[in-house]
Amino acid sequence: MGEIQGHLGSDVFYDFEEMSCGDLLIALLKAMRPLPAGTLVEVRALDPGAPIDIPAWCRMVGHALLVRAGGPQNTHYLIRKGG
Amino acid sequence: MAKLLISITNAKNDTDRATVGCVVANASVASGVDTVVFLSTEGVRLSQEGYADDIHEEGFAPLKKLLTDFVDAGGAIWVCSPCFKKRGLDENKLVLGATIVGGAKAVEFLSTGGSCMTY
Repeated sequence: MGEIQGHLGSDVFYDFEEMSCGDLLIALLKAMRPLPAGTLVEVRALDPGAPIDIPAWCRMVGHALLVRAGGPQNTHYLIRKGG
Repeated sequence: MAKLLISITNAKNDTDRATVGCVVANASVASGVDTVVFLSTEGVRLSQEGYADDIHEEGFAPLKKLLTDFVDAGGAIWVCSPCFKKRGLDENKLVLGATIVGGAKAVEFLSTGGSCMTY
């Protein structure tokens, strides 16, 4: 099996695998905090709660969720970091 | 800014509840919410350096890491003063980010727009 990669044209890619709930959001926060506003970030998350949590998180912290792609429990998200 | 107080009333007597409380606190602080973990009754034991080192619920990050991440992300830990004193715990062994408070602090936080979840 090949290495997991981003394919949505992002600047950076993070694979959060099975992380969930607070662990996933803290990891997202840590990953995105040092990035400049406008950065395109692709995230892969396998947890079944992620399709609900990641859009909600983006709304709360001011990031734009541009694309959600992939199958159930194996979704890629393209996020533009807010200002 | 929205405010959320996560009340944790358990420690090694119920590591599942203690852990999930910390996970939800991390979800809150990572979402830009002004977040406080309020440790009371048995939960105050989590405020002691070293106590949580061996708490690791299956499927979750170790509790020590959860609390460290929480504080690093800007969260505050408040420790119920009478609960702390009743158990003879050590003020000199508080984990980073923990402050001993009285009930007035929690009441002020909640009565000025804060919400609460309890574990």
